[in-house]
Amino acid sequence: MTHRTFSLAAAAAMLSMALTSPAGAQRDSVIADARAAGLVGEQADGYLGLVPGAQISADLRGRVEQNNMRRRAAYTERAAAANASVAEIAAAVACEVFQDAQKLRVGERYRDDAGQWRQHTATQAVVVPGVCGRS
Amino acid sequence: MRRILTSTLGAAVLAAACIPVQIQAPDRPIEINLNVNIRQEVIVRLERDAEELLQQNQDLF
Repeated sequence: MTHRTFSLAAAAAMLSMALTSPAGAQRDSVIADARAAGLVGEQADGYLGLVPGAQISADLRGRVEQNNMRRRAAYTERAAAANASVAEIAAAVACEVFQDAQKLRVGERYRDDAGQWRQHTATQAVVVPGVCGRS
Repeated sequence: MRRILTSTLGAAVLAAACIPVQIQAPDRPIEINLNVNIRQEVIVRLERDAEELLQQNQDLF
């Protein structure tokens, strides 16, 4: 009986994890590699962008589009709950990403709020969008 | 004395009136940047939401 209760609880926990967090999924390694290689990067608008001049395969382009669609879905859902616009939530997330060295790592390229592509280097700190508060 | 002052002033006004003022139309259309619509205070208010969203979608970032 206790064993059965336990396994039921475990199954329920696993199910709820699977339902609530598509994030149980891993980070896309193809995108991670492309970020490290400077082919794609984070943008101040909260989405991934393709670095101009980079050789982008159709596969990579598709993955980036897929990623951005899922971001947009997450932004849209959160925007409704927070009584904000999708663009505002996206910009707020970009502020967090730009100030987190685990999310915008050294070596990666990114697009600032003026639309210019830059690189995060050991000596050059990330240019955080002007709309971000101090944190 | 006062008379001299008035006449000098009058001359100055006249002279100013005679200077042709040229107004040039801008050769480029006026651009309005809509990005400024996002305000800092809104971003600050949404900080907690942004953190939670990132926590729940770690695979996307």
